[in-house]
Amino acid sequence: MEMGKRSEIPPGTLYMLILKSLARLGSMHGYGIAHHVQQISDDVLQVEEGSLYPALQRMLIKGWVVAEWKQSENNRRARYYRLTPGGRKQLAHEIREFERVMAAIVRVIQPA
Amino acid sequence: MRELWHRLRFLLHRGQFERDLDEEMRHHLALKAAEEGSPDAARRQFGNVVLLKEDSRAMWTWNFAEQFVQDIRYALRTMAVNRLFAAMAVLSLALGIGANTAIYSFMDAVMLRALPVSHPEELVVFKWTAKGRTTVVHSLHGSNSEDDSGNSTSPNYPFAAFVSLGARNDKLTTLFAYANAWGLNLTAGGQAEVAGGLYVSGGFFTGLGVPPAAGRLISAEDDRTGAAPVVVIAYPYWQTRFAGKADAIGKTMLVNNMPVTIVGVTAPGFFGVDPGSNPPVFIPLHAAPSLSRHPAEEERSDFFDKNFYWVEMMGRLRPGVSIEQAQAQMAARFHSFAAGTAANKQETANLPALRLEEGGSGIDSLRREYSKPLFVLMAMVGLILAIACANIANLLLARATARRHEIALRLSLGAGRWRIVRQLLTESLLLSVLGGLLGLLVAYWSIQSITWLIANGRDDFTLRAVLNLPVLGFTLALALLTGLVFGLVPAIQATKVDLTPALKETRASAPHGKLSRFGICVGASQFLVVGQVAVSLLLVVGAGLFVRTVSNLHSVQLGFNQENILIFSVNARQAGYKDAALASLYGNLLDRFRKIPGVRSGGLSDLPLVSYYWNGTGLRIPGTSLGAKELNTCLLTVDPSFLSTMQIPIILGRGIEERDLASPRVAVVNQVFADKFFANQSPVGRAIGIGDPKDAADIVIVGVVRAAHYNSVQEKETPPVAYVPYTQSVAGLNQVFFELRTSGDPLALAGSVRRIVGRTSPGVPITDVNTQSHQIDQTIGQQRTFASLCTCFAVLALLIACVGLYGTMAYAVARRTGEIGIRMALGAARRNIIWMVMREVVALAVVGVAIGLAVALETTRFLESFLFGTKPNDPLAISISLVILTCACMAAGYVPAWRASQTSPMSALRNE
Repeated sequence: MEMGKRSEIPPGTLYMLILKSLARLGSMHGYGIAHHVQQISDDVLQVEEGSLYPALQRMLIKGWVVAEWKQSENNRRARYYRLTPGGRKQLAHEIREFERVMAAIVRVIQPA
Repeated sequence: MRELWHRLRFLLHRGQFERDLDEEMRHHLALKAAEEGSPDAARRQFGNVVLLKEDSRAMWTWNFAEQFVQDIRYALRTMAVNRLFAAMAVLSLALGIGANTAIYSFMDAVMLRALPVSHPEELVVFKWTAKGRTTVVHSLHGSNSEDDSGNSTSPNYPFAAFVSLGARNDKLTTLFAYANAWGLNLTAGGQAEVAGGLYVSGGFFTGLGVPPAAGRLISAEDDRTGAAPVVVIAYPYWQTRFAGKADAIGKTMLVNNMPVTIVGVTAPGFFGVDPGSNPPVFIPLHAAPSLSRHPAEEERSDFFDKNFYWVEMMGRLRPGVSIEQAQAQMAARFHSFAAGTAANKQETANLPALRLEEGGSGIDSLRREYSKPLFVLMAMVGLILAIACANIANLLLARATARRHEIALRLSLGAGRWRIVRQLLTESLLLSVLGGLLGLLVAYWSIQSITWLIANGRDDFTLRAVLNLPVLGFTLALALLTGLVFGLVPAIQATKVDLTPALKETRASAPHGKLSRFGICVGASQFLVVGQVAVSLLLVVGAGLFVRTVSNLHSVQLGFNQENILIFSVNARQAGYKDAALASLYGNLLDRFRKIPGVRSGGLSDLPLVSYYWNGTGLRIPGTSLGAKELNTCLLTVDPSFLSTMQIPIILGRGIEERDLASPRVAVVNQVFADKFFANQSPVGRAIGIGDPKDAADIVIVGVVRAAHYNSVQEKETPPVAYVPYTQSVAGLNQVFFELRTSGDPLALAGSVRRIVGRTSPGVPITDVNTQSHQIDQTIGQQRTFASLCTCFAVLALLIACVGLYGTMAYAVARRTGEIGIRMALGAARRNIIWMVMREVVALAVVGVAIGLAVALETTRFLESFLFGTKPNDPLAISISLVILTCACMAAGYVPAWRASQTSPMSALRNE
């Protein structure tokens, strides 16, 4: 796999990325989410794949996503996650927060 | 909320969770491996699988549990540092909780526990109330209580009323009756004993819905005139007399000398309907006449007499019927029944009114006897718990203050406030739970000793208090509540710290007094100590009053010598002896008893003195101006040597002599009798009539003796008493009590007495073997129990309060070590330092005592009915209590004061 330099995702944005992926794809398993983030970001963003799972557990507890076992495309059992209305709201909230912080950072680093 | 639900579900499906996660991760790794071409690369990308699983799990589980363990370990460590105070706090809490649990278990046994029968909540008890004396009730055998406004209440009814109320009943599914059988002579397997039993109607057992342990129970066929005599024995009696063998069923035993067949055994734990009784036998109601001591014919007429009130009733409400509806119907029926039995207008005017009461916890003999004492005791132990809790609160306050620095540091490093409150709460809960556990031991031990105290040597004692689930729940709730309430305030207080000054301050400069923000805590601990002192004073005053009461009771001049007298009862009538044979047997026995070495003299009487027995009767005195209402006297049937044996001195005429036993009827009267009925004249030689008005007034008074207490130690005025020879007994001779004055320990002769009775008249049981003084002691048992318990409680309270005072002062001194060091360095003498500390002690004690005194003056009147010979605000008891309390406070305060004075200025200052 020869690719360009990959970057760790900024701290605190993992939830947002997962939520957004699910919002776009509808229903997806863990591997799919990781794959999706990597692809969409043109392989810039790298999710430490394992850390996806504790995050997904937390989102289950919070009720942002629900999970069910389904047959995957390669005919194996896989757990698919799907966004809930609560999750959609959380996504909007996280995006708003992120943009606010981003804008602030941009203002700071812009040449005066 | 939903989050909590998710987490709870996780707890239940933990295995599923692990499998799912595992499979999910394997799936991921497989896909990755396919993409990367090697499992190793996939694993590298993925990260540490075990750690990730752990993280996922941690998302679900509460950190709570983990932190809880941390908190407990921390709490144990801090307790270990402050070992003495922690031990004191736990101990005082244990005593408080234990005492409360013990008293509560008695309340549970007396007031709250339901009968061990099916659906006890449906049961109703029948009572009646009437204003004053109802004349339609010609005679009553049972209980009758009169309240202050003159209303009398009784559960007893005529048998005929039971029959008429039971007919065509659409409000109750069942109605059954029962009556106490006193003093039955039971002989099984050649062993005779005297015990109470219960006469029951045919529907009794089916009505209560209880099964037999063996055989069958009494049915309607057994309870009718002419049925074969049967008996159902209680489980404990079956165990002791028949060793629980099945062949007891069908055997014959003797009840009052009449053979009856044992048909069954009641279930273990069943005691009938009165939690205060434990009858060994249950006998059909219709057998009552043939078992009675009186001639059977007379008793049978009583049985059906519509004006003789003797059976008690219970019913079971039909489903959906309220107690009021049932009462309305039953009361109307009973009214018409009673109206039909009234002999004249006066009787019709004041008929008893039927009333139904809830019967789920049985009839209320125990409640009547113990509820008031128990409420007083509950109040006392409640106060003890309160001051024990005050100690805990004090401890926690002190500790929270001491840890200001630490808490401020933790808060500034980002610890959550709730996290710190929780940690402090854990400490207080740990203390209270430890106290609760230890309290259970205390409770177990106190239940034993209080039972022993209240039972006071009575072997028929039936108050069964046990540590059962409700009681344990009560203890647990109490422990947690105390921990929570008294821990929460100090904990929240502790986290309200102004960080910067708290971090800067050193020990010596820690603020105190009312000036600082934190002063409220110091104020609170002083407030708690004042409260403790006040409550202790209250309990000490209570103890003082009870101790005075007991000493008053002991110093009452009874008018006879109660020392060195063996007393026991013999009932040969039940064993078949009659009239002349009975009298001669008793005379014969008395002669033999007198010959026992160590017996100085011996007498007999039909009732023992001062044991709450009362035999009152009407009196006729020819030529007197007194009305029939006043002409009443108490009777005592005695032998010629009774008066001399009891050392009741003769002041006029002569005593009863041997020649009187078989000669014209005579009586000796007491001084009260002489003064009341003969005013200034001498009664000697005058003739009186006692008992049946039809008899001639032919009893000649031959002497007057000094008044001796008759009924009780507490009696304010001795009633008029007439002593008559036992051979001339007015009501017929039954059971007698022998009184033997001995030169040594009276009870040592009990064996000889039993041997003599066994040889002379086999089958006649001896009961109530006791010493006269102990028997009298038992009649004041309640007062003595109160005095003992209350003294224990007062000492306990005093100890706890002293611990509290000591702790508060010790803490204050410790905090001011630096200041004391400076004072001493500047030349303060040791006594100045002592005085400086003692000043505060005195102030606390004085305020506490003043408050306690005011409360005591107001509340001790609730104890009035328990007191004898002393007023509720007895100055002696109160002033002694004041002295005791002040001394205790000074002693508790002096230790830290002295310690403060021993401070070395050098080391105190070096510690800065």
